[in-house]
Amino acid sequence: MPPEAELERAFEDLQRIFKDRVTQSAMHRMAYSRDWSPRYRTAQDLPDLVVVPRSTEDVVQLVNIALRHSIPVVPFAGGTGMGGGVAAWRGGIMVETKGLDQILELDKESLTVTVGTGISVWALNEYLARHNLWFPHQPESKRACTIGACIGCDNDSTFGIRYGKILENLTNLVVVTGRGEAVRLGRRKASFSSTGYKLMDLMVGSEGTLGVVTEATLRVCPVPQTRQVRGYLLRSLNEGAQAVERVLSAGLCIDSAHMNDRERLHFYTHAYRETYHREPEVPDWAEVILFISWAGDEDVVDFAMDKTTRVLRDEYGAELVGEQEMVDGWWDSKHRLDFIPFKQKWPDSQREKKFGAADVGLPIGRLEEAYHRFRQIAAKWHQDVLGMTVYNESANRSTASVSFAVFVDDSSEENVRDFYEYVREMSQMAVELEGTMSSYIGDGDRLGGFNVLEHGLGLEYMKRVKALFDPQGIMNPGKKFETRWLR
Amino acid sequence: MSARDTLLSYGDDIYTCNRTRCGFCRDECPVYRIERLETYSCRGKMLVARGLIEGTLEPDEEMARMADECLLCGYCAARCALQNVEIITALREALAESGHKAAKHEENTAQILETGYLFPRAAPLKRAGTTPLYLGCLYQSKPAEVKTVLSVLKKAGFDPLIDDEVCCGYIIQATGGAAEFEQAQARFREVYGRYQDDEILTLCPTCNITLRDKYGLNTKPAIVAVAERLRQLNLKPVSLTATYHDPCHLGRMLGVFDEPREIVRALGVTLVEMEHNREFSTCCGGGGGVTAVSPRLSAEIAKNRVRDALAVGAESIITVCPTCVPTLLRGAGRLANEVDTFVDVLDLWQMLDEALEE
Repeated sequence: MPPEAELERAFEDLQRIFKDRVTQSAMHRMAYSRDWSPRYRTAQDLPDLVVVPRSTEDVVQLVNIALRHSIPVVPFAGGTGMGGGVAAWRGGIMVETKGLDQILELDKESLTVTVGTGISVWALNEYLARHNLWFPHQPESKRACTIGACIGCDNDSTFGIRYGKILENLTNLVVVTGRGEAVRLGRRKASFSSTGYKLMDLMVGSEGTLGVVTEATLRVCPVPQTRQVRGYLLRSLNEGAQAVERVLSAGLCIDSAHMNDRERLHFYTHAYRETYHREPEVPDWAEVILFISWAGDEDVVDFAMDKTTRVLRDEYGAELVGEQEMVDGWWDSKHRLDFIPFKQKWPDSQREKKFGAADVGLPIGRLEEAYHRFRQIAAKWHQDVLGMTVYNESANRSTASVSFAVFVDDSSEENVRDFYEYVREMSQMAVELEGTMSSYIGDGDRLGGFNVLEHGLGLEYMKRVKALFDPQGIMNPGKKFETRWLR
Repeated sequence: MSARDTLLSYGDDIYTCNRTRCGFCRDECPVYRIERLETYSCRGKMLVARGLIEGTLEPDEEMARMADECLLCGYCAARCALQNVEIITALREALAESGHKAAKHEENTAQILETGYLFPRAAPLKRAGTTPLYLGCLYQSKPAEVKTVLSVLKKAGFDPLIDDEVCCGYIIQATGGAAEFEQAQARFREVYGRYQDDEILTLCPTCNITLRDKYGLNTKPAIVAVAERLRQLNLKPVSLTATYHDPCHLGRMLGVFDEPREIVRALGVTLVEMEHNREFSTCCGGGGGVTAVSPRLSAEIAKNRVRDALAVGAESIITVCPTCVPTLLRGAGRLANEVDTFVDVLDLWQMLDEALEE
């Protein structure tokens, strides 16, 4: 933790610039003391100071003060991360990035928007909707999650199978590095570049350990005329993954594809249950519910929907979910976040135990095996299974970014430790199955150091990259290269 | 039960929020939109509440100011499944109990307990009639507006009865005065308890909820009663493109969304909806006693709400609440200085009075 005297001097320096936009009060620090990660219920990580910058220049000044006093800098965005990415467990300055929420430029002809990274994905889309445009990188946390968080965490996107994730929708950014310099990285508004190294790409998933990303240029799309969603019942995960690939290879364009096991379906049909006061009916033989959406002109969508249904039925024995209300309820929960007022699903489902996930990425051929091992590992570490979702996150490919979710008993530190033992074994399994430990949550304060298992010597090169951008090691310390949780 | 115990009784909700952090309550919270610190959002306050419960945070003036800068508008609750408004009220109580209560709130509480009214009563407004009409403190201080309401009600065929009344005590409770609220309740029952068996029409949605929930009275917003007779009324149409602002208590908390809109349409107004409307409408800036302790914040919130109206091309904002009308008017006036466009704020009662044939 930074020495008291240095903190005091840093506070004085910051006050000169930020006036009432810097605070060291315990109350404000408490409000930044945790994210969505599974922790013991009374756990808290208090930053020493909270600062609200409003511009890149503000951040430059802030980082230079932090450098002068060797104080950690932790960028805080949506605060909805599940990997402890914003946990200020080494203290320091919490940078409240949501003050950087300006729309800097909308270029309708080139279909790009340049924004301050503190704007939420939801607010950006509300703005774009007025211009009949939308931004397709859409994590489920989008009401609170900011563009900076999308870049920092490389999080999930509902529409990944058509538009990819944040990297595919990002052309340029400005980052204030740990050297205290604002650097523009990327391709301006172009979609490709063969010059130089792809330093912009390094920022995606860097979790604030290289710098604070303050501006981003994003690719946006015209709002499609219509969107349809359907659900299909399938016998196995592997069949589901193959079926998605087959639909794509047939030449069909799909907008989203998610596979849920039966338990996860229960979690996502909160809106359905609230509306109809019953459980969705799923026949015993169905192991997987595959939800697919299509977007575009009405006649094209109608054809694609019909052709997809025929392919899935004739070649994979899939059954179309007859109860469209259930499918719509799932979509309300997944994408529209259109919950019945006063009955939002998230907090109410978390009263006794809370959501926790191993978010591994797998080759699609190993899904079935991973699913069986998931259930064994969850049982070994006393975790109640919440269920599994396979997200398709790569444009026009069947892929497997998998959320193996459990209900974490966070009523004791020991039980929380068990959850992280579960994450450890799931991460090991992912590497064994030739996949990755994390596909949308990030390292945070859980996988750092342990991820040498995945990266080997590569992790040493990553440390050198870190040193280049952040020679004093002040940017979000305690992340990427060390873990608080895994042995 | 001490105020801290009251806060503790919400422990399950507080910890559930702390452990979830979905943040759905945050971005559109009218206070957060101005202050831009997590602490001012509901989920931030829930962490502060936990700090108080666990004793890791000590109550102080800064915390009391933060809690006082909540509108208790219930937007966060509509996006959630937890009892957010009740918890923030309990937080205020705990802070008041520890000696941290804004002087202005103390003054208002004392005024109500001493006189029975939040504001000096401008004129005797008693009236014989058959349908009890509870005015509430704000209308008690506005005889001209009461005259307008009475005119509309009479044209709609009502014979309003205005009797002696005292403050319902909402603002005392909302600003953390649990014990003082009990005194106000006793006085209210003494003065107005005789209408236990009648249907009481109300003008202030906040009073309506308090009369219903705290005193068990049979209340109905007077504007709903008028809407029920809309077909019998002859209205002169107006030519106007306007939006309707849902008052938090009338809309989100009493569920009255359609009736005022039916009247607005019946008046011939071209109604355009703001992005945040109905259950997810955002507060005018006048809720929760914020105006008394932070007029700057209240005005900034009102300006944002007027900006919402401007964004959808509304010439005017129509609403029907004695808090929303003046608060939005202040916001509209101040915003006009910045953007050179004045969005008028119209009281639905006034519009009705002008449109109704004798």
